[in-house]
Order: sequence, then structure tokens, then C-alpha cells
Amino acid sequence: MRVLLVEDDAALADAIARALRAESFAVDIADNGEDGGHLGETEAYDVAVLDLGLPRRDGLSVLAQWRAVGRGLPVLILTARDAWSDKVQGFKAGADDYLVKPFRVEELVMRLRALVRRAAGHAASIIQCGPISFEAQTGQFQIDGLPLKLTAFEWRVLSCLMLRKEAVVERLDLLERVYEGDADVDSNSLEVIIGRLRRKIGANHIETVRGLGYRLTAAAA
Amino acid sequence: MRLLPKSLTGRLLVTAGVAIIVALLFAALAIGHVLERFVMHGLDERLDAQIAVVARSVKPDGAVEPALATDLPPFDQPGSGWAWEVIGPGRTLRSGSLGPAALPLPPHWDQLPPWDRPSHHHRPWDDPARPRPLDGTDGSGRPIHYRILRLATAAGPFLVVAAGPRSIVERPLRAAMAPLLASLVLLGSFLTLALIFQLRFSLRPLNRLTRLLAQVREGQSRHIDVDEPTELLPLVEELNALIGANEQALARARGHVANLAHGLKTPLATLRLDLDSPEIDPAGRLGEQVAHMERQIRHHLGRARAAEPGGATDAIVELRPCVIDLTHAMARIHADRRIAARIDIAPAIAVRCDPQDLDELLGNLLDNAWQWARATVRVTARESERQIEIAIADDGPGMSEQDVDAATFKARRIDEREGRHGFGLSISRELIELHGGSLDLGRSDLGGLDVRLHLPRGRRSL
Repeated sequence: MRVLLVEDDAALADAIARALRAESFAVDIADNGEDGGHLGETEAYDVAVLDLGLPRRDGLSVLAQWRAVGRGLPVLILTARDAWSDKVQGFKAGADDYLVKPFRVEELVMRLRALVRRAAGHAASIIQCGPISFEAQTGQFQIDGLPLKLTAFEWRVLSCLMLRKEAVVERLDLLERVYEGDADVDSNSLEVIIGRLRRKIGANHIETVRGLGYRLTAAAA
Repeated sequence: MRLLPKSLTGRLLVTAGVAIIVALLFAALAIGHVLERFVMHGLDERLDAQIAVVARSVKPDGAVEPALATDLPPFDQPGSGWAWEVIGPGRTLRSGSLGPAALPLPPHWDQLPPWDRPSHHHRPWDDPARPRPLDGTDGSGRPIHYRILRLATAAGPFLVVAAGPRSIVERPLRAAMAPLLASLVLLGSFLTLALIFQLRFSLRPLNRLTRLLAQVREGQSRHIDVDEPTELLPLVEELNALIGANEQALARARGHVANLAHGLKTPLATLRLDLDSPEIDPAGRLGEQVAHMERQIRHHLGRARAAEPGGATDAIVELRPCVIDLTHAMARIHADRRIAARIDIAPAIAVRCDPQDLDELLGNLLDNAWQWARATVRVTARESERQIEIAIADDGPGMSEQDVDAATFKARRIDEREGRHGFGLSISRELIELHGGSLDLGRSDLGGLDVRLHLPRGRRSL
């Protein structure tokens, strides 16, 4: 899961990014409205965390612009403005959730996971695919009822496949959601991660669709 | 002691009243004087005519020819009060009316009164053509008017004195004064009436201004709208400018408080994230302090945000769109709870409240309902003569009597224990009461809590 964090306060942005990375999210940070707006329009993110009081361009107008050009990524507004009038304005501009500073990082993580899950069309918080179950609220994977230990990269790939289980996820799409914007991407590394995942959950659950990408499937082929 | 009363009406009445009285007194005196001069002139002419006749009998060499001093009627009638006398060195001539008795003259009659000394006067004492006047009484106390002519002859000065009764002047004067005074009194009362009417009429805009200003204070209007009288327009402009400046200052102060609070929230958020690691704050004591600071900020920000009741920011807000916007927000915030909102609010219903305050107080209550509801939240509104009753009901567990009492009487304590949830309720209650409404908690027919609030009804025709 890749998060776009648009926050101008460097200390807070770092603290949030640290906390999110600890929960296996890939995080890109923009410290102003213009850069944030541009990233949101051009890069693939699972969810965006948007501050409202931003330099150069106000958060609400960034959000309105995304919606105007048809970017439907879920957006959580993270702001100090806690008046209901402000929240109503945020939702009217197209926000999906609203969190008021100061906040508990657990709540932010929980809300981001819920946003991504709902955006993928899952109403229930537990997603099941064969023996694999994904508790979207806590981010825990289980296989046959036993906890599955994953690295951050493995978690990002598997959660992405899980949220779109039984569908083909394009390789490029997957790459974009696994690596942060400024990361050096080795084109072979995705295959390495997929290989490790296959060893952990059983090779038959991740199909390679030639020329397209990968598919997570329950069927033991 | 104050000479002028405190009220404007009193001042105008006193000054104008004094002016009217002074003017009328002056008119009475002036007209009386002119009248007296007029009738006195007739008397003087009669006396002077007699003096002219008598003066012919005195020759320049001092010889007197009594035959020439004839009596013009009524100088020949004894007891008429009309008489004359020529007083010369050695010789005295008298009118027929006097008989043998001398003409009674006031003391010092032959001396000029101090106010008529030649030094004060351009007219010389011995102007032969003009007799001088003198007033006195005769033996019986009857007021007499004299004219005295001094004739210089070779034998010495001769004085020709003619006397006539003053009553002949005073009778017509008295007859004229009565209607004159009556008409002056009439004029005075008319002027007083006109003055009172004028005061009532011209001070009325001040009363109107007071009413309009009160309306601004009560929030029924945002500024004073007056286009007359022109004398008040500068004052009205100043007042409107003052109202505007107040409004801006209030908005600025609110903005500063909000900026301060919001400015503190971001570092607090960072602090809280840092304190989440167990090695920095193992006992959670620092985290508790941060949480306390957060609560303080939220509480005081909420209070600072609350607009004054009836303040300039009060407006007529349509309830239905406001509730719909908020329920959309709730549906997003509590997306996983999938609560169905049933809204039954007539589109025409409007409340008089600051729009942000309305969002805030309804937002807190709806948030509460969404948190506790199992499947349904119902919002209804009813209109009465002066108020709008809004009922927010949920099908959650509701509150026990004890909790309701606690929330009603010890709202603050509940905040501390339950954090955000109770806090919202008490902020809502404060806002509602600030706007002259009320909040009641009960059990809804859906099974959960029923929050019933009353807010002032907004009328379009203000």
C-alpha cells in the first residue's frame, strides 16, 4: 500500500511517515500543495493523507482538482481544523475521511487501511482468499489460521493482490504500489518478492499471467 | 446645582422657553413705551401750545403783558388739573384754573435731573424752542405732567410752566395695554405649543435610531439603515463603521484564537507520535499531559468559536441542507458502521443561529448518535410559534437515567471520563444555551437516546 502524505510540517510529516512505514506502508511526502497535487494526479497511490493549510496551494483546492480530473483515490484530510463546518467543507470537496490533529497514529493507520479496503470494494474488514485471510483493520495476514510473518515489501505486494483477489494486477501497477517514489527499483526485485511470497503461502496461489501481471487466487490449480 | 436639565428635550424646553419669555417681555415693554410716547406726545403738544401762547406775554426786555396770556380751554377751568404759571423776577402770572393759589410744583423742579445734565446731552438747557418735561404730583397726590420753558430776558430768566393731569395719558394707555398683554400671552402660549410639537417631531428620529441600534444588538439586523434626517447621517455612518469595526475585531480575535489553537495542534500531533514509542514515555505520563493539553485546546477553541448570541454573525439558516451535509459527513466518518439516516425535515424550516455554531452543535450530536446507533439515526424537526424542535434519535443502547442526570448536571465531569463523546455533548449544550435554546435527553421510540433541542425559529420577514 502506497500513501501520498501531503503535509508541510516537516517534523510531523517525518513522524507520520516513520509510523506508517513501521506498519509496512510505502510513503511519499510532499511538503506543499502544488507538489502534492501533481503527485496525486500523476502517480498511483492507494490513499492520500492531505493537510488543509498548505503552502502554495490550499488542500481543499488540491482535492477538488483531483476530483475534477477524475482521480478517485481515497483521501483522508488530516488537519487541525476540527469544526464541523470545516469537515462538511472537506467532504463536499470530495474527501473520504477526516482526522483532526492531534491524533493517535493507530487511528490514522486504521482509517487508512479501512479507506483502501473500501476503495477496493470490500465491505467486511476480513478478506478471505482460500486459506489466506487478511484482517484489513490490523493488517494481519493468516494462513490456515496461523499468523504469517512478512517483510514490508512482501506485505505491500500481498495486500495489493489480496485486495484485488482473483483479478489480474498489472506488473507496473504492482511496482508502483510497492516502491516509494524516490526508490531505486530493480526490475527483478518484484520477481524476487513474488518468489518469496510463493514459498510462504504456496506457489499455486499466485499465478503469473504472461505479459500482464499476477493474480492471487484461492483455487489450488 | 445644574442649571440645565440632563435631557435634550429639557434643555431645548428651558432655553427656548426662556428665550420666548424674554422676547415677549421685551415686546411688551417696547410696545408699551411706544404707546406711552405716542399719547404723551399729544399731552406735550397741548401743554406746549399753551406755553407758546403764554410766552408771547413776556417781552425780551422783561416786561410782561398779562393781556396776551390767554387761557386756552381747559386751562381756564378750575380743578381740571390743567394750569400754567409764569415765574419771573418779581412777577408771576397764573392760569384762570388756578385762581389765587400758586401752581404746586415738585421739589427741585427748577433743577435738571442728574440724567439730563447738559454734559450728558447734546441739547443745551436754554434752547428757547423746546420746553423740558417734568413729572410730579399736585397737592392731592394726583400725578401731573409738567412742561417748563426758560425764557431769557433783559430783566433775567423767566420760567413758563404748564401742567396737565397724567391721567389723560394713562387712561388710554391702560385701555390699550389690556388687549396688548392678552395677545402677547396668547402668542406666548402658541409659541410654547409650537415648541413642544417641534421637540416631539424633531426628536423622533433619535428614538427611532435607538430602536434600530437595539435591533442591531439583538441581531435582528446587521447595520443601521437610516437615510434621514441629514443631521443624523454622520452619526449613523459612524455607528455603522463602529459596528463593522467591532465585527471585524471579533472575527480577528476569533481567528487569532483559532490560529493559536491550530498552530499548537500540529506540534502536539508530532509530540504525541514521538511519545508513542515506549522508550521515551514508558509510564505514559507525558502522553497523559499531551492529552490534557489537547482537551484544553479543544475546549477553549470551541468556546472561542461560539458566536455571541444575537451577535452580528447570527443568520437565518435552513435546517434541512445543514443536516443533510452533516449526515453525509457522518456516513463517511463512520463508513464501516453503515447507519441508515432518516431525515424528516420540511424544507421551509429555518433556525436563527450562527451557521458555524449550528454545524458544530448538530455535528457533535449527530456524531454521538452515529457512534452509538445500531442501524438507524432519525432526525426530525417541528416548527412552533417561536422555536424549532429538532429531535435526534438512535437505536443504540441509550443512556441510563443516571447517565442522563450526570450528563445534564455534571457535563464537564463526563467529558473528562469519556473523552470526545461526552465533550461533544457538553459543547453542544453550551452552544444551544448560548443561542437561547435548550437540550433535553430522553429515550427514543427506536430504543436508544433521544436528544431533543430547541432553537429560536428563523423568520424570513425580518
